[in-house]
Amino acid sequence: MGGVRARNESAWLLPNDGTRTHHALRENMRTFADGDEVDVVIVGCGAGGATLLQRLARAGLRVVALDAGPFWDPDRDWVSDEAGSHHLYWTEPRVITGDDPVPLGSNNSGRGVGGSMVHYAGFTPRFHPSDFRTRILDGVGADWPIRYCDLRPYYRDLEEELPVAGERWPWGDPHGYPHRPHPVGGNGEVFLRGARKLGITAKVGPVAIANGRFGNRPHCIYRGFCLQGCKVNAKASPLITHIPDALARGAEVRADSMVTSIEVDQRTGRAKGVRYVRDGRPHFQRAAMVAVAGYSIETPRLLLNSASSRFPDGLCNDFDQVGRYLMVQGAPQTAGRFDAEVRMYKAPPPEVSSEEFYETDPAKPYKRGFSLQTVSPLPITWAEHVAAQGHWGRVLRDYMRDYVHWSCLGALCEFLPQPGNRVTLAQETDGYGLPVARFSYSQCDNDRLLMRAAQAVMENLLRAAGAGEVITIDRYAHLVGGARMAADERHGVVDADCRTFAVPNLYITDGSVLPTQGSANPALTIMAVAARAADHMAGGAR
Amino acid sequence: MSGPGQRFPGFDVLSQSGNWDPVTARVVLARVGPAGDLRFFTPAEGQAAAALLDRLLGQADGPGVPLVGLVDARLSEGRTDGWRYDDMPEDGRAWRDSLSFLDADALAGVGLGFAACPAADQEALIQAIRDLGPADWHGMAAGHIWSLWTRYACTAFYSHPSAWNEIGFPGPAYPRGYKNAGVDRREPFEVRDARPSDDPVPEGA
Ligand SMILES: Cc1cc2nc3c(=O)[nH]c(=O)nc-3n(C[C@H](O)[C@H](O)[C@H](O)COP(=O)(O)OP(=O)(O)OC[C@H]3O[C@@H](n4cnc5c(N)ncnc54)[C@H](O)[C@@H]3O)c2cc1C
Ligand code: SF4
Repeated sequence: MGGVRARNESAWLLPNDGTRTHHALRENMRTFADGDEVDVVIVGCGAGGATLLQRLARAGLRVVALDAGPFWDPDRDWVSDEAGSHHLYWTEPRVITGDDPVPLGSNNSGRGVGGSMVHYAGFTPRFHPSDFRTRILDGVGADWPIRYCDLRPYYRDLEEELPVAGERWPWGDPHGYPHRPHPVGGNGEVFLRGARKLGITAKVGPVAIANGRFGNRPHCIYRGFCLQGCKVNAKASPLITHIPDALARGAEVRADSMVTSIEVDQRTGRAKGVRYVRDGRPHFQRAAMVAVAGYSIETPRLLLNSASSRFPDGLCNDFDQVGRYLMVQGAPQTAGRFDAEVRMYKAPPPEVSSEEFYETDPAKPYKRGFSLQTVSPLPITWAEHVAAQGHWGRVLRDYMRDYVHWSCLGALCEFLPQPGNRVTLAQETDGYGLPVARFSYSQCDNDRLLMRAAQAVMENLLRAAGAGEVITIDRYAHLVGGARMAADERHGVVDADCRTFAVPNLYITDGSVLPTQGSANPALTIMAVAARAADHMAGGAR
Repeated sequence: MSGPGQRFPGFDVLSQSGNWDPVTARVVLARVGPAGDLRFFTPAEGQAAAALLDRLLGQADGPGVPLVGLVDARLSEGRTDGWRYDDMPEDGRAWRDSLSFLDADALAGVGLGFAACPAADQEALIQAIRDLGPADWHGMAAGHIWSLWTRYACTAFYSHPSAWNEIGFPGPAYPRGYKNAGVDRREPFEVRDARPSDDPVPEGA
């Protein structure tokens, strides 16, 4: 592991005395004045933004990352409780619409340093090589301007930095993981048993939870609250995997700073910096380069809210590409009832997965595929699953009393990118007076076929494992796209290096740039894309 | 029918609160304290909301989770989920509007305000809205108001230690964690289900 520490010292910069935050590192952090022209200002300090910050700081650039939310201290700010974790989510107003509107809030993006990875589950699979060429291979989706092999070295590096634990991975580009697989709890046991019965290959992992001590990060205590923020520092999020090293290398993290627009010099067409609000006061941070990494909804919204005389329809939106091709994964969730006690709340929700159905199967009436994973909802989320069956009152309570007997799996179905699935601006404004995002989603036939196919496999699997009753609800997960990477400005917003076509010193380095999503959870790929963009930016791309 | 507590005899989440970290303990124990005055709902709205929430969670025989207080606190502090369907107003407005529509339905059908109706009538009024599915109810999709009600109701109820007692869930788990994960394995402080084959109401019942 000496190699990792030399590249990224974060895990060794955390305290090893049972507390979780290196306060002195934050207090003594280098700071820049608004009028100081920094090399790069980054909007958003989540998966993409924090990775970029650490890489650029390592390269010696003067960088500051602004985040709308707080600079979390897991000891003080996070609780081992579902309802008490509401403050981790982005809960500013948003409007949803379309034929299949996608509920947001707790199920989507986060707010604060670390971004959505603070409360993500922790599955960190790679994309498959085919994900970068779905149009050529399958006639659907889009082809990326980069290939899998362009990301492979970044995947490998990041898997060591998080670090990722899991069995040797047989799918996509087969690879191993730096940490051994975790022992599984009841839900993982059920998944493995059912898969074995049906001859489906399932593997433990890949999860960004250290198996054993990693630097000063302790071992997971299998308490099951990964989606509420890990108070242990066992589960990876940029707050502990990239921010400490960035600070130690002279980067600034400016929390509680909501960016309201990106300013472009109307004469030169270059970005000058960002306007933001902190402590109720407007500020302007000057910068030689700007990178936006605010999540697939806030990034397009910020571009649209940064209209000017040069860009009357929104920044980088001359070809009406901003906000389009947003994708969610169809995430049907199937639960099965066992006479034995499963107690799925014990152990991390991310335990076991299968990518056996990931690729296009020519025998099937649909293109592309889905993956299967353990999900293990806690009581409130489980109640939503039961209530979604139409149960309420006494019947709902009776189902809920049975909680310890249920096992729960989720699929991630590769929904296809469609131009009409997009973010636009609503009439309504938020507390800063800015129009809020209006997010429209409608499924296509292929999407619906995948949902039903995944449901059938999960129900069979749980029955094979011995379940009596099985119940399924339709859900969605993981928004990506909205400012996609493409070969030219008529098909996307950024080029292969995440540089916007319209403004030469403006980059987008978050999940927004993904042209397709596969059926893998996106965080590792978002980090890999950001790390690759960092190499380009640090290489003197001004 | 199983009554509260019967499946996990003697299981008491609060008896373990000494093992919780102080930040979590403060948040959870605040929920079991005495409910304060309503700050968001008017007294009339509060009565209708209390009746609705108690019916949605079948609270006639306990355990008396102060649902209206928990929902009122969320709405008065603006702890909403943020997002809304485009045919709906923001959550606070949607709660007020839907409670007044519920009263209107009750007056039209039963001749009493919703809170004053007998429980069976309240249940019938609620079921009628549930049965509308995506159809219109006073200008909004019934399914959208159903989603709003049940999300708030379930979040409030299953955040409460009394609810955890009846489902066998131990609640906060930091810093202790779990040592015995796996099928049919328990921690010393977990209680075995006394009626493991008590399958819930079968599908379609
Ligand atoms: C419940 C849940 C479970 C998940 N599980 C997994 C999983 O198991 N595996 C996986 O790979 N992915 C998972 N995800 C998804 C994953 O967390 C996200 O895809 C990923 O974090 C997105 O990265 P990002 O850089 O695009 O945005 P984020 O990580 O969300 O970062 C965006 C940041 O920008 C800030 N911001 C936004 N707008 C502004 C502004 N105007 N000014 C200043 N700051 C701003 C926000 O506060 C936020 O911190 C999960 C997500 C959720 C919600
Ligand atoms: S289960 Fe492990 S990784 Fe998940 S929150 Fe708990 S300690 Fe952290």
